[in-house]
Amino acid sequence: MSQNLVELIRRHHAVQAPTALEVLKAAVAAHGKVTDDDRRHAAELSGLPEAAVYGVSTFYDDLILPRGRRHVRVCTGTACFAATGGDHVDAIREGLGLNLGECTEDGAVSLAETVCLGFCHSSPSVRDGDTIDAGPGLTARVLNGVTRPAPEPGWESLLPEPVLLRRGDWSGLRRALTELDPESLLALVEASEVRGRGGAGFPAGTKWRFTRAAQGEQKFIVANGDEGDPGSYIDKYLMERNPALVLEGVALAGFAVGADHGFVLTRSEYPLSKPALEAALRTAHADGWLGRDILGSGFEFDITIVEGAGSYVVGEETALLACLQGLRGTVSARPPFPAQRGVFGCPTVVNNSETLANIPFVAARGSEAYHALSPDSTIAGSKLVCFNERFVAPTVYEVPFGMTVRELCEDVAGGLRDGRSIKALQIGGPLGGILPASRLDTRFEFDALAAEGCMVGHGSILAFDDQTSMRDVAHHLLHFAAQESCGKCFPCRIGLRRAEEMLRGDAVVNRERFEALLETLELGSLCAHGSGTPAPMRSLLAHFPEELGLS
Amino acid sequence: MTQVTVDGSPVEVAPGATILDATRAANAWVPTLCFDERQAPFGACRVCMVAVGGSPKPLAACTTPCREGMAIDTHDPTSRRVATGVVELVLSELPVAPAPHTELAQIAARLKVGAPRWTGASHDGAHDLRHPYLAFQHELCISCGRCVRACDEVQGAFALTATGRGFDANITAGMDAGFGESTCVSCGACADTCPTDAIVELTLLDGAAARRATGNGDPGRRLRRGLGSTEK
Repeated sequence: MSQNLVELIRRHHAVQAPTALEVLKAAVAAHGKVTDDDRRHAAELSGLPEAAVYGVSTFYDDLILPRGRRHVRVCTGTACFAATGGDHVDAIREGLGLNLGECTEDGAVSLAETVCLGFCHSSPSVRDGDTIDAGPGLTARVLNGVTRPAPEPGWESLLPEPVLLRRGDWSGLRRALTELDPESLLALVEASEVRGRGGAGFPAGTKWRFTRAAQGEQKFIVANGDEGDPGSYIDKYLMERNPALVLEGVALAGFAVGADHGFVLTRSEYPLSKPALEAALRTAHADGWLGRDILGSGFEFDITIVEGAGSYVVGEETALLACLQGLRGTVSARPPFPAQRGVFGCPTVVNNSETLANIPFVAARGSEAYHALSPDSTIAGSKLVCFNERFVAPTVYEVPFGMTVRELCEDVAGGLRDGRSIKALQIGGPLGGILPASRLDTRFEFDALAAEGCMVGHGSILAFDDQTSMRDVAHHLLHFAAQESCGKCFPCRIGLRRAEEMLRGDAVVNRERFEALLETLELGSLCAHGSGTPAPMRSLLAHFPEELGLS
Repeated sequence: MTQVTVDGSPVEVAPGATILDATRAANAWVPTLCFDERQAPFGACRVCMVAVGGSPKPLAACTTPCREGMAIDTHDPTSRRVATGVVELVLSELPVAPAPHTELAQIAARLKVGAPRWTGASHDGAHDLRHPYLAFQHELCISCGRCVRACDEVQGAFALTATGRGFDANITAGMDAGFGESTCVSCGACADTCPTDAIVELTLLDGAAARRATGNGDPGRRLRRGLGSTEK
């Protein structure tokens, strides 16, 4: 990230200037596209050079895809793929007479691809204007112009006493401000061994310790709500159904590391997340949980909600920081880590929003109670998991660590519906390995899944049924990966495109060349997008080689 | 000071020095494409991979700080294989081979990169010849970001930006209306640092040659005649 641009942004933020991305998003909302006048206006307001604004305007899906008066976004995420094999996309394309990314000449209708809307429980799904419709009969409703909001199932906790589903009531912050000091809260989070729930599993306390120790007059907390994993709607439920718990976690992180401001970055694919968080923010202010001198403790903290603009890689922490500051959402090499140079160049904690939602319990009840949440596992705390539409009872569940994947799939989510059986699962998002049905007795834990080339990741459990072609799965995942590469590092920028090209159509795939390409991606890429996409390919090569058309 | 070894030889580097600094101090060759010593390290090209004792994976030399006692191996076969693979990928995205004098061509030759094993789409020719002294062949751009950083960090003109994303990432001046319509001050720092000649400076000699050859003072013409594809 250019230090000069970040400094320009910092100075303009200090006088309440909007970011370039905010101005460009507003332009699209107002008149459906970004013009050069909009770019000049964004440059003027944000303080960014015109060229930098141009670069931003060519990066995000929401800014580059043409919009008609009716803008139809069809979800091409992995759950929707698992449900229809892509038939819903073809039917809507043919019915509307438009290819993805096209708009009718009269500007009446446009069609775009989106990944993913978080309605994986009811796939396939489409966003028609601001209405998200999903489930059986979807295509006909889209083509007849009668889409309606799809219902979302309730969520459920398997714990004797819910932790992440318990409505956020700020009792953790109350205890921290009245009984603890920042150092003892931090020690509590370290002792609780809270591991990051966003994918990497990194200890939250370690990140906080680095940030607390970093030199800086101002520090920030960022909740990563950019849940881009196709097949995952965990953060969506947290942000929309329990926003106060996420906000409380952000405030607690601020108290522990010495920050006075936090941000939550949400996705534009979840149009309800930002309003839900903002409503909770207003309530928290009214109740005195945010603002100046909270509970008379002298602690001051406030939170800003920022919405992204369509980019998967923005879920990576350095790209997230770039997006938050209105820049192109590209990855930066670490070091410097966000704990040293984050928002406006200041020390910053970036945690997944589910990770932060664990903190109020830790603050209120302590590390022993937190460890006790998963009695059959060495991993502390609970985990939210979610299932795709292939299952009988797909929704978000709070579960303890240590159950087997089979128990989760069969006992919790009820197995697959319509008499189908599981062929394989992708757990934890698009960078997670593929677990074949023969390995369902693997325990749902970091190390056990890693031994199978898989991961807990963010917690989505996505089933491919017995009718799924694993060659199609491979191409689907590579298409997504290539589309979403931020374009910064060479292996990912070019290599994912080459991998996708190798698996296009029914071309014979030279296994040796394919594996050499995977190695280049794994060892060469700058971030997990390029280095992680090979993981499911390795699983497919190991478990389904006969389906891949290899030579 | 920090003590490290490079291919077995001890080297002392200043605090904060990168692995690349140490290898250069030891006169060990590590290929680079996105690195320019006048600019902050960028970490994009992933060609400067080296092995470090204790690290399970190769590390990018340009962005990894030295730690006391680090054992750096610039000949590690895995690192070299990754670097070679990346350069192969880069060659596969260009519609024509890079000119032999360019950094890219020289690194490809030194790494003995043959015909790319992975082939597919290459970039369409798009030439911006509107500026009298600077010509931009977008299809030769490998998005190393050196021109953007030169303009930002060295010149402070902020006339260039990365555009697009993924395979379609590229670079442009201003709001894509050419150098002349941007904040470009015609310093030539972008052309100077470009490792592929995607941006070249049309020198006075080019201008004179063009004037002699064509009888007019249009220095872009020589390049245009030679290229003969889509012009903006």
